[in-house]
Amino acid sequence: MRILLDNFTKKFDDVMVINNMNLEVRDGEMMALLGPSGCGKSTTLFSICEIYQCNGGRILFGDRDVSNVTSQHRNVGVVFQNYALYPHMSIFDNIAFPLMVKKMPAEQIKKEVHKIAELVHIGDLLERKPSQLSGGQQQRVALSRALVRKPDVLLLDEPLANLDAKLRLEMRSEIRRIQQETGITAVLVTHDQVEAMSMCDRIALMDHGKILQVTTPNDMYHNPQTDFVAGFLGNPPIAFLDGVITNGQIQLKDSAIQLPLPSRVPVQPDGKIVRLGVRPEYFGNQAGIELQGQVSFVETQGRENLYDIRLGNGAVLRSIQPVRADAGLGDSVSWPLDTEQILIFDDQGQRVA
Amino acid sequence: MRQRIGLLGLGFMTPALVMVLVFFLIPVVMTAVFGFTNMGTATGISGGEYLLTPKIVKQLEIRGEFDKQSLTALSSNRYQVTEAGLAKAASDGLKSAYIQGLRDSLLGREYSSKRDFERALKKIKDRPRKVRALKKSAEYFSQSILNRRYLTDHEFKTALAATGVQLSATEFDQVLSASYTGWIWTTDNFTNMFSKPDTWVVAFNTLVYVLLVLAFNIGFGLFLALTTFYLPSGQSAFFRAVWLLPRISPPVLYVLLWKWLTWDTGFISTVLGWFGVPAFNYMLGSVGSAWAVVVLINGFVGASLGMILFSSAIQAIPKSILYASEVDGANRWQQVRYIILPQLRWPILFTTSYTTLSLLTSFEYILLSTEGGPGNTTNVWALEAYFTALNNYAGNLKYGYGAAMALVLVTLGVLVSLLYLRLFKFDELVARPKIEN
Ligand SMILES: Nc1ncnc2c1ncn2[C@@H]1O[C@H](COP(=O)(O)OP(=O)(O)OP(=O)(O)O)[C@@H](O)[C@H]1O
Ligand SMILES: [Mg+2]
Repeated sequence: MRILLDNFTKKFDDVMVINNMNLEVRDGEMMALLGPSGCGKSTTLFSICEIYQCNGGRILFGDRDVSNVTSQHRNVGVVFQNYALYPHMSIFDNIAFPLMVKKMPAEQIKKEVHKIAELVHIGDLLERKPSQLSGGQQQRVALSRALVRKPDVLLLDEPLANLDAKLRLEMRSEIRRIQQETGITAVLVTHDQVEAMSMCDRIALMDHGKILQVTTPNDMYHNPQTDFVAGFLGNPPIAFLDGVITNGQIQLKDSAIQLPLPSRVPVQPDGKIVRLGVRPEYFGNQAGIELQGQVSFVETQGRENLYDIRLGNGAVLRSIQPVRADAGLGDSVSWPLDTEQILIFDDQGQRVA
Repeated sequence: MRQRIGLLGLGFMTPALVMVLVFFLIPVVMTAVFGFTNMGTATGISGGEYLLTPKIVKQLEIRGEFDKQSLTALSSNRYQVTEAGLAKAASDGLKSAYIQGLRDSLLGREYSSKRDFERALKKIKDRPRKVRALKKSAEYFSQSILNRRYLTDHEFKTALAATGVQLSATEFDQVLSASYTGWIWTTDNFTNMFSKPDTWVVAFNTLVYVLLVLAFNIGFGLFLALTTFYLPSGQSAFFRAVWLLPRISPPVLYVLLWKWLTWDTGFISTVLGWFGVPAFNYMLGSVGSAWAVVVLINGFVGASLGMILFSSAIQAIPKSILYASEVDGANRWQQVRYIILPQLRWPILFTTSYTTLSLLTSFEYILLSTEGGPGNTTNVWALEAYFTALNNYAGNLKYGYGAAMALVLVTLGVLVSLLYLRLFKFDELVARPKIEN
């Protein structure tokens, strides 16, 4: 069922956390709310399930305005960051709880619980107490409790934050599998871009209570609308260079280096201040304009190495490429920059092209 | 290593052990010791003497095990002039001429009444001039043991034998123990206690008192904790403060307020009087209202403890668990029933057992309000023990009996504690150490 936030506003006393947010999550879609800590992701999520009451605007499930519907009646499943399992109940009772409070007959509850437990692979843990489970198992229990009553929407608040790297990887695909199998509309809150990109159909990138961009992971990576989005997505992160338009070319700040504008970019007025975003994979690999610099940092990542190259003007470019023997710390190198792939932002951080 | 940890643990425990010893074991042991004596105002708490009084003779007579003649002989006042009596009189400085006169004319004679003997004395030539001195001199020859104090049982036995009254061995012992004024070891306290119908009334009152006040404390404490939890924080702080007032006000003032509220010239009667309801003393006017007042007085004091403990326990439940239950579709009642109450098991166990124990032994608010009245209807065990041992109108304090009552209370308290530990599976709750070692 689609979710629509229409001019949604949330304040805590006098603190404005979300101001006039508009967001649509399509039916059956998994949407990531991605953003730095404190930007209002959890607040948005908790408002969708009415744990927080919104102070303005509307929230629609399908075509139904649920702004004034209490959380008990919104029919949402929520997975909390710390799982919020009921410590005094067995796993079975935990999962059965949403059905039990609906007064579903015991036989049917049993059937539903076992069905969902099979789906998330915890069928043999039902007798235990939450404290006797590992983090990943607790996570699955929380997921089954959220799903068992077939909610209209599934909300996940950093569900993988407490897991170790390997388990996180496993649960990532697990949650995605279950979401796709059930076809449920889901919102995933995360500050981990990899999680957002790998699990979700679309990403809504937030900062300071505002949505900066909503699009597919691929598009967001290649077509960020602002320098913040470009900087937030991508690992290793994008490098920025300052420059100014001179004679239809880009003159790097404090440097004689001139770079041509990418061919897709329309003519820019002379004297315009720009920021160039260069992703590490487009420097040092393909053919392009050679740039001189000094290796100031090397990070081994196994198959590839990450190099920081300090240019003559002090700016730093990042390059990721297969391990090579000819570039050690402090070496002078001359590597090609693929100028066609440069992202150009204006001095306000808005994308020019 | 193990050994060292053991010693260290013992070291840490020592203050606690000393406390238990000083403040619990020793009083309990003392109570137990006193409970098996008949100490009281009559006996004192140090040793005693032997004193046979006409009253004791009458009591022995009522028992009906004695030969009537020997009892009459015991209580009769016989006079005989003996060398022993003369010697005593001489050593007390009576005139030797008088003593000589007595020896000459009366030695060996017996008189069965004081009057006769005094008449005989008046015929002696060198008798004292003053009547009082004469009467006093007669006492050297009294052969009765009535109303005389004997410091040891040997003295008393000698005196008893000297009276010449024929007593069987058992009769002799009975007279001996009946005239002892000190305390003795006995189990009579317990047999008396359990055979007295009043005891069972008081026991039943205690049961009613503990159960009602306990239910009120826990129920009302829970109610306050839950309602204040769902109130906005400012209001809940206010309500909690209001319900703390009974706890922090001095008991005497607090009960005074209740008296002012419930007496027949008090607030309730006055207000109801405006509507034509006749004035009524709610504190002592009827058994039902007296109980209601007793329960409320104690209940309002005790509820604050539960309220505070339960409130903080509710606050300690992670917010996200409450959120989860809400989005899972639980309404308020289901949230309380399935999420909050189960997590209050510990504080409820604690408050229930603590309150039960303190109620078992508490009587101060009853003492200040109804004093167990009307009649004996709100009298409880601890109050009865207090009256018996420490304070009553007759002034006849029975320490031993009171201690025996207290001992019953202590035993009951220990049993109740054990019962609670079983009931709430206490060992299950504490069995597994949170930090493994
Ligand atoms: N109860 C509250 N009262 C006042 N301010 C709050 C409250 N809850 C959250 N905030 C503020 O609202 C902002 C958004 O909080 P929120 O919990 O939504 O952040 P988040 O994006 O989920 O961050 P994180 O990734 O760290 O969980 C923060 O600046 C926070 O300080
Ligand atoms: Mg959060």
